[in-house]
Amino acid sequence: MNSGVFYRPPPSVIDKLGELNLLLLIALCALTGLGLAALYSVAGGSWSPWAERHALRFVIGLAMLIVVAVVPLRFWLQLAYPAYAVALIALLLVPFVGSEALGARRWLPLGPLTIQPSEMMKVALVMALAKYFHSLSANRISHPLWLLVPVAMIAVPMALILKQPDLGTAMMVGMLGSSMLLMAGVHLLYFAGGLASLFIGIPLAVPFLHDYQRRRIEVFLDPASDPLGAGYHITQSKIAMGSGGVTGKGFLSGTQGQLDFLPEKHTDFIFTTIAEEWGFVGSMAVLILIGVLLAILLGMALGTASRAGRLMICGTMVSIFLYAAINVGMVSGALPVVGIPLPFVSYGGTAMLTLMFSLGLSMCAWVHRNDPLAPDPVSLS
Amino acid sequence: MSDERQPAAILAGDERRAFSRRAVLLGLGQALGFGVLGARLYQIQVLDAGRYSLLADDNRLNVIPLAPTRGRILDRFGVALATNDETLRVSIVPALAGNMDLALERLSQIVPVPADERARVVARAKRQPANLPILVASDLTWDQIATINLMAPELPGIETETFSRRVYHHSKIVGHVIGHVGAVERFAMGDDPALRIPGVRIGRAGVERGMEQTLRGQSGIVRREVDARGRIVRNIARTEPLQGSDIATTIDVDMQGWLVERLSRERRAAAVAIDVIGGEIVAMASSPGYDPALNTPQPPPPPPEPLRGRRRNRSLRTGQRVEVAKPDALFNRATSGLYPPGSTFKIVTALAALEAGVIDLRERIDCQGTFTLADKSYRCWNRGGHGRCDLHRAMRESCDVYFYEVARRMGIEALASMGRRLGLGQTYQAGIAPLSPGVIPTPTWKRGKIGRPWLGGETILTGIGQGYVLTSPLQLAVMTARAATGNAVVPTLVRPELDKARPQFARLGVNDRNLQAVQRALRAVVNEGGGTGARASMSDLGIEVAGKTGTSQVSRRSANRYQTSLRWEERDHALFVGYFPANAPRYAVAAVVEHGGGGGAVAAPLARELMAELVQRDPMRKPAISVSPPAPRPSPEASGGGSPDRDGKGHKA
Repeated sequence: MNSGVFYRPPPSVIDKLGELNLLLLIALCALTGLGLAALYSVAGGSWSPWAERHALRFVIGLAMLIVVAVVPLRFWLQLAYPAYAVALIALLLVPFVGSEALGARRWLPLGPLTIQPSEMMKVALVMALAKYFHSLSANRISHPLWLLVPVAMIAVPMALILKQPDLGTAMMVGMLGSSMLLMAGVHLLYFAGGLASLFIGIPLAVPFLHDYQRRRIEVFLDPASDPLGAGYHITQSKIAMGSGGVTGKGFLSGTQGQLDFLPEKHTDFIFTTIAEEWGFVGSMAVLILIGVLLAILLGMALGTASRAGRLMICGTMVSIFLYAAINVGMVSGALPVVGIPLPFVSYGGTAMLTLMFSLGLSMCAWVHRNDPLAPDPVSLS
Repeated sequence: MSDERQPAAILAGDERRAFSRRAVLLGLGQALGFGVLGARLYQIQVLDAGRYSLLADDNRLNVIPLAPTRGRILDRFGVALATNDETLRVSIVPALAGNMDLALERLSQIVPVPADERARVVARAKRQPANLPILVASDLTWDQIATINLMAPELPGIETETFSRRVYHHSKIVGHVIGHVGAVERFAMGDDPALRIPGVRIGRAGVERGMEQTLRGQSGIVRREVDARGRIVRNIARTEPLQGSDIATTIDVDMQGWLVERLSRERRAAAVAIDVIGGEIVAMASSPGYDPALNTPQPPPPPPEPLRGRRRNRSLRTGQRVEVAKPDALFNRATSGLYPPGSTFKIVTALAALEAGVIDLRERIDCQGTFTLADKSYRCWNRGGHGRCDLHRAMRESCDVYFYEVARRMGIEALASMGRRLGLGQTYQAGIAPLSPGVIPTPTWKRGKIGRPWLGGETILTGIGQGYVLTSPLQLAVMTARAATGNAVVPTLVRPELDKARPQFARLGVNDRNLQAVQRALRAVVNEGGGTGARASMSDLGIEVAGKTGTSQVSRRSANRYQTSLRWEERDHALFVGYFPANAPRYAVAAVVEHGGGGGAVAAPLARELMAELVQRDPMRKPAISVSPPAPRPSPEASGGGSPDRDGKGHKA
């Protein structure tokens, strides 16, 4: 199909480095900087044990992002199905060889490391859906038969994660997948139908929830019912945030975080410390910074020629949005407590690397934005 | 509407417009989501800020979990084995202390803190979050606590508290059984809140781990107000923690003491005695012994050396082996030591063969000292051969060729299935952890573990308890108890409550005639001429014993040499399993002496000594409860029947 396109020499790595979206990198550094300051503060004004390692992980992640970005997009697309298959097999293995913690099996031992296959799946799903829709002609996208494949690609891992049990991640995978379908151009009527069946389905699903899941929902509706257990986190978190007021108590001066009232204060509840020490101003700054990051990504998606590239960027954007929205919703008591970190701010290696890799893919799509990427001659049919 | 031939991914104008529309839709959706969150934050941080500030700043409500007191562990007759000791301790919170050196200097005028200890605390403070307390000193007197609290304004960041500490009694004797407690490794939301308390301990091994849920109890809560510096203003409400339940174990401390002392004469050995009626473990010991009172910091229960020594010995051929030191002592050989059962496994083979119908009691198999299968020959331990043996004689004289042949006839699956029915290759809910499941090999197991197909010769070897089969002494005792009673005996370390009936075990479902034939053969092993287990006999006490010896080969070299000419670690393991009285079984025992040599020569006499002690100390001769039941909250001195200083002395009757 290249007959009509005039020849252009393939861009070198240096050329590609010049094409990196600097705005995105700046926003990323700013967000991580906020996270570092918060981690420094919750450690009682100390780089160790969290801030220094967080910084190190960020630097490693950034290097990975850039490497991923300059590799040809075609390579990542070729990797999409194998990556999806590996993630799916890992998910299937979890019930058999996974390590159990707190009544759920979510981790796979891999030599000295333990990996969380559901995290792998979040990236692999984005890649695989992008690849799938890329190789589909436009008039087939909304065809019910052709739609069956991506729906299965979303539903199977969802079901596996649900069985672990990890309701929060399963829902996140579901939302991520459906927004990819939306961006791929699937007819809106499908979404209307999906939403309608959800509203009917949820009341029917409640009896099948695990005890701890039902408990979390109950506690979410009434935190005071369990002041020491799950409700403790929400209550303490809200006290810390509220007492921060508009301008906060000042850096290193958050009494709630410093005095150890907060649980998981360096991981899932890091936003609380920011809200306490820097007040409403600080917490809005975090939200706005993430919003800017999302807006940059959306702009990148709009400027990308290939369907695969656009979908990959959108997938990353929706991932980050979901992480951020669920985390902030959780610590402010607007959503039930599920263990989801605040991207680039919370301490934790897995989420940082996963997100950096996703951003690398998006950056790769952006770097190759003018390459229309003709679909493989061999289509799925 | 793109044309079929046009590459779909090249943006048609329509598609690009559609994408843009949806991108705006998604963007708006996200903006809406963030808008809602922003509004939520506005409500908490701006509108309700005053209310939350009150909660946080003026009088902060602090909800603190209270650790429950851990249940005690007692012996069969009420002797305390693990209790708790209240200790007063003082710690420092760096964030509140300001100048650490000054604060510690002042504190050491009340409680002497050596200079190097102070340096340790200061160094620690730099490595950890400043708001976590650091323990400075424990075992304070009430006077010191009172002085510290009086001087509180001049001692910022210094906190005092009482803390309950685990104390072990008779620990040299029951160390392996009771196990120990250790720090909580990881905890998260949804866990018992008590586990978040700094310094709280959970069971790491033995009964402490096996009965953790019962021993731990339920945490309480105290809600209190603290001032801006984190000091307690007043307690508002308090829910007391629910103390963990005491556990009465089935161990008889005197009996156990005797056994530990006896085993300490062997380099490495383990023995178990269980009551076959209730499955109660009366004594269970492992040598070298281990004392949890020594408070080893992070004792990993290591599988110290591969007990199937073959591979290891080969690689060690070059160097002199040094006596393995402490970590080895932590290892409870009775529950986790895995040994090839050797000829004791013939109980399984015999019963399996009879049940499978591949042999009848009258059939004789001719033993000429070797057995040949697929051009490979397998030796009987008796080079000269036993001649024509029926089951009774083959068991009595432990003829290998007979069991090779019946194993060949029935095949590995029937053999493995009987092994599992007799309690091998599995763990039990025995109130003690960890237990090793051991190995009852099957072709499926081998494919999964080693990746190769099963060989016929391996069935032959399994028939005499060599090859891949691995069992722990506890499992061997269970196997014996099941063979003795025909019941699916499950071992336990937890004594049933006095007013409750003992558990009724299900029948194994083995044909009674077959079971009785095996039992007759086991009696012959000990009591008839030519039996390998003659040295376990208690006929002098008027009690008939039934049993089986085992000598499991560890090194290939041992086949051709006298045991005494071999290095210790190449010698055979000596095993004996048995039960008595033979006509109405009461106790089953298993004894393993690592690299001890012949089972009949080494393990059988050891087992006899153990059984004779069991006869002497049968609880039927003692009252069921100690005369003075321990007080509800005993101090260690006052508890139970004996003081810890008895530990070191011998317990020989």
